[in-house]
Amino acid sequence: MNGGALAIDRARSALLGPAGLDEAAIARALGELAGGGADFADLYFETTSMRSWGLEGGRVTQGGFVMRQGVGARAAHAGQVSFAHSADIREGALLDTVRAVRTLERRGETRRHPQGVALNRRVAGHDLYPAVDPVAVEDAGAWIAILKRIDEQARAHDPRIVRVDANVRATDTTVLVADADGLLAGDVRPMTILSMVVIAEHNGQRARGQAGLGRRAGLDGFDAASIDTMIATATRMAVNNLDAVPAPAGEMPVVLGPGYPGVLFHEAVGHGLEADHHRKHLSAFDGKVGERIAAPGVTVIDDGGIAGRLGSLGIDDEGVAPDRTLLVEDGVLTGLMQDRLNAGLMNARSTGNGRRQSYAHLPMPRMTNTFLANGAADPADIIASIDRGVYATEFDGGQVDIVTGRFNFTTIEAWLVEKGRLVAPVRGATLIGVGHEALRHVSMIGNDLALDSGMATCGKQGQSLHVSVGQPTLRIDRMMVGGQAG
Amino acid sequence: MTRLLTQTETELREAAQLAVELAGRRGARARASVHHDAVARIAVRDGEVETAERSGGQGLGLTVFHEGRRGSASTAGFDRAAVERVVEEAMLIAGHVQPDPDADMPAADALAFSGPAPLLYADSPRGPETLLDAANTMNRIAIGVAAADSRLRAGESVAVATEGLWALATSDGFCRSALRSNDARWTVMLAQDEGGGISDFCQSQERRADALSSAEQLAKAAADRARGALGARSVDSRRCPVLFEPRVAAILVGELAGALTGTAQHRRMSFLPGPIGRGVAAAHLDLHEDPFEPLGLASGGFDSEGIAGSPRAILRCGVVEGLFLSSFTGRKLGLSSTGNADGYYNLRLTSTAESGDWAEMLRMLGAGLVVTQFQGGKTDPASGNWTQAVRGLWVEDGQVVHAVTDVTLAGTMPAMLNGVRAVGRDVERLGAIRTGSILIDDMLVGGRA
Repeated sequence: MNGGALAIDRARSALLGPAGLDEAAIARALGELAGGGADFADLYFETTSMRSWGLEGGRVTQGGFVMRQGVGARAAHAGQVSFAHSADIREGALLDTVRAVRTLERRGETRRHPQGVALNRRVAGHDLYPAVDPVAVEDAGAWIAILKRIDEQARAHDPRIVRVDANVRATDTTVLVADADGLLAGDVRPMTILSMVVIAEHNGQRARGQAGLGRRAGLDGFDAASIDTMIATATRMAVNNLDAVPAPAGEMPVVLGPGYPGVLFHEAVGHGLEADHHRKHLSAFDGKVGERIAAPGVTVIDDGGIAGRLGSLGIDDEGVAPDRTLLVEDGVLTGLMQDRLNAGLMNARSTGNGRRQSYAHLPMPRMTNTFLANGAADPADIIASIDRGVYATEFDGGQVDIVTGRFNFTTIEAWLVEKGRLVAPVRGATLIGVGHEALRHVSMIGNDLALDSGMATCGKQGQSLHVSVGQPTLRIDRMMVGGQAG
Repeated sequence: MTRLLTQTETELREAAQLAVELAGRRGARARASVHHDAVARIAVRDGEVETAERSGGQGLGLTVFHEGRRGSASTAGFDRAAVERVVEEAMLIAGHVQPDPDADMPAADALAFSGPAPLLYADSPRGPETLLDAANTMNRIAIGVAAADSRLRAGESVAVATEGLWALATSDGFCRSALRSNDARWTVMLAQDEGGGISDFCQSQERRADALSSAEQLAKAAADRARGALGARSVDSRRCPVLFEPRVAAILVGELAGALTGTAQHRRMSFLPGPIGRGVAAAHLDLHEDPFEPLGLASGGFDSEGIAGSPRAILRCGVVEGLFLSSFTGRKLGLSSTGNADGYYNLRLTSTAESGDWAEMLRMLGAGLVVTQFQGGKTDPASGNWTQAVRGLWVEDGQVVHAVTDVTLAGTMPAMLNGVRAVGRDVERLGAIRTGSILIDDMLVGGRA
């Protein structure tokens, strides 16, 4: 797909040309940025355009277009980071931004780069996603037709569906990373997200269903069968939830379905294995590398190199190609996710997990595509093993407290299980636990690994990013379930 | 006058008017909103600067109205080429979407061409050196507070200053602008004992730096919160009264207000359908909105359509008197805009029921759960089903017995609103919302057994 080879050229033409910049100007700016003797210094140029269409009340009456660009300049001395950014990337503004960093550093000139920094390092291309622009206005008619189909098909699914909202958002992000070690790297990151919410009403009860599809592609990445599945998922959820009974409360076994419920491992394990939390000794997993933290059979992987996934990156936001990082292998904590800053301070190497929401945010160690690897159990046997518990198939996000390891997430589709059978849908169950305890209580792991449908986002310190999460069906013997049935 | 901004009010107004004028040449009516913000931020930990940031942001957003259709586009550039591109894109969108008669601009006579403009800016020192001093001072004091208790460790101390400009122009000749400022400080404290670690923080946010809480107040409150959360354990599942501290009570007030927004109402994503004139909360509760409070964190003279809000009752004696409407959501509901296209202004929850300070509220709680933090959960906007994982304190005979964690709270928003017994005099301002602690008579706590 030449996502990498074309990327640097696309990035140059999208970012440098319009701003009247060239590599020599970037080299000069980097020379000044590194002049205070920083351990490392980098510039991150970004241009993003986004087009959206929205349907409500059966009509596509909303459309939007956004374009923005900017540059972030950073210099680091040990753990001290100085950072400035600007929405103007012409050379004068770029130099003002660099000088703002130097002022924040409060260091004199300790290293002179009169010729600037030689930008002679490149990274290899990738084939994770195509260097296409999904934002083309020519696709408007096709997208509007898809949104109308979603409305009609959802209502036709069940007469109790009384309202459908749907929208599509296509984003074209092009980045260029240059650092004082001579790296110049670019990436073109297409992304399109189609999502829908439906309301079902019956006998005075109202219930909501939602679903979506996210791809690192344009219109041609959305096949009819996937859209049909999305519509069926949202309508099924709303109609099921009409009949939902209050969720039970207390400690009980829980079965998590495949795909998005992998957000459990994202919250319970993933955040606690981001290297910045370890460097600052804040993580509940601090000092536990090499120790058993989970039941045998539990293997958790962060892999930024899975084709087409929203968490995938040809290069991270520091110009490093993402690794496949084994975080937990057969129950033993084996790895952390690193960015350049923390790797440098921890005598490690970056795993390509340095990500930022935009040029206006600082990079941090962040997850990409994080999932629990397959086991051997038949999913049906896992449900059949439950005497009384909850089977959860869809969640609405989750949270973790890094320091305590306590996490929680709330179901939007779940069933009460009795004697191995699904008895009734339940509403509003919040599952809570402590990461290292939940990991030890994983007793059955299915063979049906799936990643989420492309709707997962992750928040950390106010920065939101797209990620993927995934897992096979699995059983956790003991979890706290909070519901409305006493 | 400003300390951080690099553009002037005049430049922003001219950019907004240019966008409207160019759209007019294409035969469209239009509205353009232009903003410019500048931020300085210093974070200090263990006596060292951890991050120092200086940033500037800007944007121009245009909405065109053409033959019953609407298109929106925005850009980060204010130069003529960028503005022309935005007009082009907005017109293209208006050419593709279906018409919606409710999406027209408001009538010109609804616009706040003049009228009160609340003070949103205070001149305060906001340069990086000032913030560095402030963050260093907070960090030094936090380290001092932590030194007095071996269980405590100071986390980061952060000082942030923001200044912003906003200009709005429409093809009805409306053109107004506003200058805003915001100062914030916070301190993080970590506490550790044999049972594990916990972190908590205390934050202060104002439009003028000299109104901020002192470094001593922030460090002491963060230390008290972190220390108070040590030794937390679960409790058995039960029904009991629950007291929400002001900082979580404000979130509940925000959920009530969210259900009364025009968007929630017309999309039928509200657990309070058809609420006007209906009693939706305990009869001793009033909720008042004030757009014009000087230096209020959610004050404003007009919304992003150019319509002014008004000081008014949203709830009176538990009965809904007002919604938060834009001209679009107003038309969808057969009502007029309330000047709330950008959401609600400053809100204050009050009660005529028996009340008291924090200690008295604990006595009124008697035996039950104090909620100090929501850790995550969900409010279903359609049904009002509400669940949260919470952290808090267990109280017997009005006295705190131990810290609580690993419990969930469940209820429905309509039942919770009707179940409010008291609102404390321990009022805090959290962004747009002022409230004291909220005591709810009977909720379901999900715990160990």
